[in-house]
Amino acid sequence: MSGNLPDLVDAAGISHRTDKRPLFTLGVASGDPLPDAVVIWTRLAPGPLEPFGGMDDRTVDVEWEVAEDATFRRVVRRGTAHARAEYAHTVHVDVRGLRPWRHYFYRFRAAGQISPVGRTRTAPAPSDEPAVTMAVASCQAFYDGFYTAYQDVVRREHDVVLFLGDYIYEVGVGPTAGVRNQAVPVDFAGEIFTLDEYRARYALHKTDPDLQAAHAAAPWIVTLDDHEVEGNWAGYVSEDGIPHDDFLVRRANGFRAYWEHMPLRLDQSPDGPSIRLHRHLRYGRTADLSVLDTRQFRDDQTSTGGWLPPDEVSIDPARTITGDAQERWLLDTLGRSTSRWNVVAQQVAMAQLDRKTGPELELPMDTWNGYAASRDRVLSSVRDQDVRNFVVLTGDLHRSVASDLRVNFADPSTPAIGTEFVTTSISSGKDGVDADATGRALLAENPHVKYQNVQRGYLSCRLDRTQWTSEFRIVDRVVTPGGTASTRATLVVEDGRPGTHLA
Amino acid sequence: MLRRFTLVAVPLTLLVPAVAVATGNNHLEISATPQPVEVVPLPCFPAGRLTLGMTNTGRKPTIADMRVSGDAALTLSRHQFSSYLPVDQLVKAPLEITVPRGTAPATHTVDLTVGKESLHVPVVIKPVPARDDVLLGEQAVASSTNGNMRLCGGVDGNADSAQWGASGWHDNTKGVFPDTYGVDFVQPTTIGRVVLQTLDSTTYPAAVMGIRDFDLQVRTGTGPWTTIQEVRANTTGRVTITFEPRAVEAVQLVIHDSNDHGYSRIVELEAYSN
Repeated sequence: MSGNLPDLVDAAGISHRTDKRPLFTLGVASGDPLPDAVVIWTRLAPGPLEPFGGMDDRTVDVEWEVAEDATFRRVVRRGTAHARAEYAHTVHVDVRGLRPWRHYFYRFRAAGQISPVGRTRTAPAPSDEPAVTMAVASCQAFYDGFYTAYQDVVRREHDVVLFLGDYIYEVGVGPTAGVRNQAVPVDFAGEIFTLDEYRARYALHKTDPDLQAAHAAAPWIVTLDDHEVEGNWAGYVSEDGIPHDDFLVRRANGFRAYWEHMPLRLDQSPDGPSIRLHRHLRYGRTADLSVLDTRQFRDDQTSTGGWLPPDEVSIDPARTITGDAQERWLLDTLGRSTSRWNVVAQQVAMAQLDRKTGPELELPMDTWNGYAASRDRVLSSVRDQDVRNFVVLTGDLHRSVASDLRVNFADPSTPAIGTEFVTTSISSGKDGVDADATGRALLAENPHVKYQNVQRGYLSCRLDRTQWTSEFRIVDRVVTPGGTASTRATLVVEDGRPGTHLA
Repeated sequence: MLRRFTLVAVPLTLLVPAVAVATGNNHLEISATPQPVEVVPLPCFPAGRLTLGMTNTGRKPTIADMRVSGDAALTLSRHQFSSYLPVDQLVKAPLEITVPRGTAPATHTVDLTVGKESLHVPVVIKPVPARDDVLLGEQAVASSTNGNMRLCGGVDGNADSAQWGASGWHDNTKGVFPDTYGVDFVQPTTIGRVVLQTLDSTTYPAAVMGIRDFDLQVRTGTGPWTTIQEVRANTTGRVTITFEPRAVEAVQLVIHDSNDHGYSRIVELEAYSN
């Protein structure tokens, strides 16, 4: 870029920046905590919405430190990382040698500037079983609303935040950013395809102060859904029907920008159009967490995201939403677990969700509902392996739903074998309503559905030795700032008793 | 302030690049078509479109960052084109070049650089051509524009509904009417016939997806809008409205409903002197 940031490097290799604008415009983040480690993240972007984030192509040294206290008197780890142009000047440090279940504070320094301070927390020791709090969020369309829900996520001080997909949307952001009424460069007006465009879209979202605060408040464990690449993509199939070779380049670009901007380990770094996002994280003996990727390995949708009756494709026994390898890994992981709560963090609804009045079914076919055999294999295995306290956490729907899970949804007299909590969107869909026609139908037609709501918000959970508590936090408005958060409903799962009910 | 960092040996793992980078290698071909690229100094004229390309001729996939720059006279739609590059696969991205109205015919250059490779693309500024359709290429004005559509899409000379996605316009307020779409002229212009092409393809017939109720309005001087004609319950793709020719400052459609009651879809709006 002309004129933006010519760093001057002297003979000793010390950089003298002539661009004095703030570097840490996109905040800090941490993620994927282990008992002794956590990934810390930042990006240098003096012009976050400019080409290359306002940086030139030189590598910049970034010092980092991790302390036990917010004033950094007790620093326990420090080092220097390198922010490289080929990674959009993002920094990922896998900080090791930490103590379990402790809060830590971290910050970065580059070119004489110091980043905001982030707070994180390591996972509990393998043998410990503390109570754990987690926030669960998804779907944050920038143009549909303000991220007010994250203010509440921060206020309630969760140990970890799970983000289940649609962190960005690939469609254009207009010149006034929808309801935000904020000037956005014309470069953001179109759908994104290239790596620079995906990078810029993450930068735009990450300029939001509420999102930055939520990242700075707790470690995040993330997975992606469709809009991080393209609405309704499935495996190598594009919604637009473009050639597979071209779509795989787009997918690689989406994955690359995703990894660059998320607090993920190198294990999750994509190899071109392939990324390994399914992974296993433990919270001591309190919870085993299996994070899934139900997009990359799925068979194509029977239709593009529609609600339809089951057909011969959707009930094809060979059909899969996880791919065979991920399915085997999941069932194996669940079978080996010795934790009290066995949590699957994933994208799309697993419980049968019929919205058609009467005996016929009309189901959301881009969810597990369109992959009946996949769901049967997983839920049957949960039953057969006697998986303890099976809880599925889901996003995507822009609505809150709480359901019992059973192998045969058609027979309410069969025992529940687990619970699904679908978190609503942070902003996608604008303000929403308490109940719409679909929501009312879900309650009426599905005996296993215990709760629904179509407002914006997130799920605030607490897991302990006796109970899982899910508070459905909703925000009264998101199309203007200053909305108020409250608990719309609290549902619980009791230890050893599959299924959920209102508290 | 941070206290001074001391040198201590710590068991840290820094994440390192997993993919080789293209900077400085010779295994990358830059392309651009067409050459030269022609630009017409009108805000919505369908010219100045360049397809940028990168091809990885090495043996391993790579990530490449192209810098795009041009003479000060040129406005570029992008200054960066970065992508994953598989081996031997042309990866493309569009670049749109515009120049201010009144820019004199001349030849300029757009420079494309990846590492040590670079390509200099000639850009030829053309004179404004004679036009029967006086809206063609002029500045479109709309109440809103959907993020996946182009504001200029309704005055870009392409009235083919089959190319609707790439070359049409619709608003960004689904189910909310009225919507407006039109052109502000830079000088009084005589019109006596307006032709609307709303969406009308085999997949999306006008009776299902086209504009249903709309008013044609013109403005003279700084006065208020004058309604020339009200059209109601339209189900056809192409609507022609003829009237006594007059010199106007602006023309617009005020759309009150479409046949799906969702978006106002205009493939092309044209105006002629008679």
